[in-house]
Amino acid sequence: MTIKKLSVEQGLLHYFIKQVRPELAENITKTKTIETMIVGLGRQGTRHAQLMMEYGTNVTCGVAPGKGGTLVHEKIPVYESAKDAVEKHPNIAVASIWRHHSTAKDAAIEVIRAGIPIVVLISEFIPLKDVRDILVEARKHKTILFGGNTPGIIFPPEGIKVGMLPDIFQAELIGDKVGPKGVTILSRSGAILYHLSDALASAGIAQNGVLGVGGDGAIGSRFVDLVSRIMSYENTDLIVIAGEIGGMQEELLAHDMVSHPEKYSKPLIALISGANAPEGKTMGHAGAVISPGQKFGTYKSKREALEQAGVTVVNHQCDLIEAVKTKLNRSYFDVERYYNKMQKKWDEKPPEKTWGTLITNAMPNNLIIRGYPLQDIIAKKGLLETSYLLQVGEFPDESTLVELEKIAVDATIQPFVNQDAVPPCPDISKMLGTYLLLDTRLSNYVNSTSDKAKVAAFSLGRMLRYLAILLGNIEMVENASKGDVSFRNMIYVGLVGEEEPDPLKAKLLESMITACVDHGITPPSAQATLVLASTRANFEVAMSAGLQAITDVHGGAGQKAAGFFLSVAKKAKEENIDLDEATFELMRNTIKAGNRIEGLGHRIHTQDPRRDVLWQLAEEAGYAKECVAISKMVSDVFYRVRGMNLPINVDGVIAAIVADMKLDPKIAKAIFVFGRTAGLAAHYYEEISTQPQMRQLAFDKAVYKGSSIRDIS
Amino acid sequence: MKLYEYEAKQIFEKFGLTVPKKIGIIENVNGLEKLSLNFPIMIKAMVLIGGRGKAGGIKKADNSTEARDICSKMFDLIIHGYSIKKLLLEEAVTVSQEIYLSIITDPATFDLVIVASASGGVDIEEVAKNHPEEIWKKTLVDNPKTLSEEVSKEAADFLVGRNPELTSVEESLSTVIMALFSAFQQSEAKICEINPLIVTNDNQLIAADAKFVLDDNSLYRQAPLLKSIGIDPRSKRHDVSEQTKYEAQAYIIGFPFLDLLDNPENFQKEQDKLYVGLVPGGAGYGIFSIDEVVNVGNLYFDGKVVPINFMDSGGGPSLSEVADMFHLLMDHPATDIIITSRFGGISSCDIFIQGLIMALRDRYISKRRMIPVFGRMVGTDLAAARAFLDKAKGESPEPLKDLHIVVGNQKIMADVIKEGIEYGFEIKKQEETGGN
Repeated sequence: MTIKKLSVEQGLLHYFIKQVRPELAENITKTKTIETMIVGLGRQGTRHAQLMMEYGTNVTCGVAPGKGGTLVHEKIPVYESAKDAVEKHPNIAVASIWRHHSTAKDAAIEVIRAGIPIVVLISEFIPLKDVRDILVEARKHKTILFGGNTPGIIFPPEGIKVGMLPDIFQAELIGDKVGPKGVTILSRSGAILYHLSDALASAGIAQNGVLGVGGDGAIGSRFVDLVSRIMSYENTDLIVIAGEIGGMQEELLAHDMVSHPEKYSKPLIALISGANAPEGKTMGHAGAVISPGQKFGTYKSKREALEQAGVTVVNHQCDLIEAVKTKLNRSYFDVERYYNKMQKKWDEKPPEKTWGTLITNAMPNNLIIRGYPLQDIIAKKGLLETSYLLQVGEFPDESTLVELEKIAVDATIQPFVNQDAVPPCPDISKMLGTYLLLDTRLSNYVNSTSDKAKVAAFSLGRMLRYLAILLGNIEMVENASKGDVSFRNMIYVGLVGEEEPDPLKAKLLESMITACVDHGITPPSAQATLVLASTRANFEVAMSAGLQAITDVHGGAGQKAAGFFLSVAKKAKEENIDLDEATFELMRNTIKAGNRIEGLGHRIHTQDPRRDVLWQLAEEAGYAKECVAISKMVSDVFYRVRGMNLPINVDGVIAAIVADMKLDPKIAKAIFVFGRTAGLAAHYYEEISTQPQMRQLAFDKAVYKGSSIRDIS
Repeated sequence: MKLYEYEAKQIFEKFGLTVPKKIGIIENVNGLEKLSLNFPIMIKAMVLIGGRGKAGGIKKADNSTEARDICSKMFDLIIHGYSIKKLLLEEAVTVSQEIYLSIITDPATFDLVIVASASGGVDIEEVAKNHPEEIWKKTLVDNPKTLSEEVSKEAADFLVGRNPELTSVEESLSTVIMALFSAFQQSEAKICEINPLIVTNDNQLIAADAKFVLDDNSLYRQAPLLKSIGIDPRSKRHDVSEQTKYEAQAYIIGFPFLDLLDNPENFQKEQDKLYVGLVPGGAGYGIFSIDEVVNVGNLYFDGKVVPINFMDSGGGPSLSEVADMFHLLMDHPATDIIITSRFGGISSCDIFIQGLIMALRDRYISKRRMIPVFGRMVGTDLAAARAFLDKAKGESPEPLKDLHIVVGNQKIMADVIKEGIEYGFEIKKQEETGGN
């Protein structure tokens, strides 16, 4: 059974906002959501951002100097300053500040100056002088400031919490709907808030707002600033304040109640702690100390002042429950229902520690990149557009694509001076990985920009150059670069070594490369790049590690598969037999000799999503010949030989097309490595901008949190 | 943190205020021998608690016999329960006028307030009560770094207005007020008080006494200042006294802890009473749980229950800090039973229970004293904590046999406390009968 939350504009938080920023409050009545921001993304801030969102709070963005432009919890944008954040998100109404006490002042002042009406200052132990500076600013901007040293504020009916309060509070229930009424609790201490609330819940008393005012000696909003304000909120039936020894907040409130009784129309109960506290010894909270010789700040002074103002004062949990019950003489929900809810919570298995990626969802038989099925991308988009999509999350507009094209072509043309420093080796991956590490032009480019889409385009250009060198086509590339050449044609020249490529062939080649761009975080190459990225290794180092993980075992099967298909075709022709028959015989012999048939089988897919679209494109381009035909039957033949289902994989399909295009089988692996460059770059940048460094990388705990499935328009 | 007078005066001097000439500080009567005394001198007991003048902690001596006599009596003095470890000896100053000056933090608004009175040298509270017109007060709402000349002149004007004999020192008064303000702001004080500020016959202004309370929260960045007056910047003291052994131990580990018993190291327990150690969660509940234990004790146990400590175990302590909290109380000679509550907010139930179990297992293996633990946990990471607790009980039942943790909040904490105390008395009874 789902319970409908209270609409935000009926709640107490909105009521606060309305009092200090009426226009913003008016906006909220239209947007129906209260946007919040989190300032300080250390361990606590980051963790509690997550818990707040789980509770239902709309966390719009974060602020953390030095982390601007990154994302937290995979999706929430982080800005350098509160000003930047508010410029982008003018509807932010609440900010929580989680900075260390030594930097809390600057953070708080910045947030206040940005005009945010409700500020929750979690930081504790802030120096008094800094607090005074914060208060000066808060008064100037009419900010409602909670804290320092507050556990936060929570509004159970609306399901909004800002801070670290645990989810044990209970709103009024009217059937299956949440009601707005209840008791509002204010406390100088966090733990007391929790103990008060669960004590009241045990008596069926709902809380419509639970506010930590802060445990420090000097705080933003005192009881006297808040209590009468809350009494004018129609849905509060009673207020409980939890005070403690030290300071004169409770006495001030009592004094105001005596001089302005008209502002205090609702019952108030005070729980005061410290009846047995020693003098002159600070009790944890900077504010909780009885100053020797002063006439305020003691348990007695507070109790007497409040009692004189007509407040019921208690010092024991059971007395509190009794006092509230007597005053209200009603319950707000079924207590059993509350306990059942809580029981369910603590019977729950500990949540798995998952982490998110927004790039690719690799599911059996489906590969979804940023929400788009990969087969649609292969059919409709080019490599550079797809690379941009991987990095940024959307396809580029036309002018951006032109720019990327230029970057990629330029990157291909620029010389690579260290190529001779690498001793030749037949392993393409090793050669490429080493080139990446030695290429100063690439590292200079990476250091010169923070634009990851540009870096990815530049990397593709460089990778093409390396491949052209390794495939012996570099001179053709040099020649081609003298004219006005597109990146697609450049790819063809670089990989195939033919000038003036047939447009259909060039497009087909690019499609195959696009098919290889990414497979989420499941393949070893992506994982190797992520491991390096988590240590904040340089881009080219992480890319090199990822690419070098592409071996015969992973992604390197194409070359051998192409060889197999060509042998089959040759055999059929020479022996004048059916392709089917030739495949069967050759396969049987290969397996008998103890060798593998490459291009078959996949860790995840039983029907590779890239298969049909590639066959289709080959067909359309006129390059679906014998080998493609063989590739279509190879799986069935395998069944005949071994009695096992082993589907053809993308390596197999590409190998077949490469063979039918009469290209060197070596190109099959080059296609894979080249395409994967784009995906690895995306994973590198996602890791460094959304995850803490040196984190524990549990690859099996990754969850896709990106766009849901969409069509390419 | 409150400073001793001699420490406060060192700070005053740094900011250009004149203080009486210091002769020395002695820790016993024989210390007098090493000092060259230029009589008359003032002998002052160095205690942090107030009211020392009335208690006989400030005396004037005109010769060495008198000085010796005063010092030896003063070392025997107990002021509001605190003994005296140090005496400050200063040259006496001839008094023409006495002025009161202070910068304080308004307890209501937290603003800075400057207070001045021409009726110094007496209890300023009395003056404020009986002759409010003798007190000048100015609240500064913008927390300025330095005091404007305008305001300091205003204060000096007032003082001269109340006592025309101050006319000749009006300008110096204004300078002193500005210097005191700078001392307050730059040292990040909560209170700075000079009472009295003496005007001598030759129109010198001398701060004869000094009260200085530093803001604990800013001590970390006042290290140079603290070092310069001989205080270890990583040490801590109360506003009224130095720390006990256990308090110092907890301070070094990094959590706030107070002994509620006097002389805890050699504490004599009363046979029929139950002494309860508390690991209560955050600071606020730390204070409240003391009251709850007393309340429950009064309601159901004939007032025979004594809470022995305050602790702030909240704020996300680490595993080893949690373990140390329990170790400290189990090593504490007074503890009969420990009552604990973990209401996970910023802190995690999981870390808490792991730390607690770590401590119990350690103590069991190394055969240290084990104390029954009663408590409740609820809140952040409860599910993981519960799983850990169940597993641990299966793996090592022996060390955990006296661990009683209620999981979840079906029972309010006051009831858990009551059950814990009941259990404590039962154990006590068993031990007594077992001993016989």
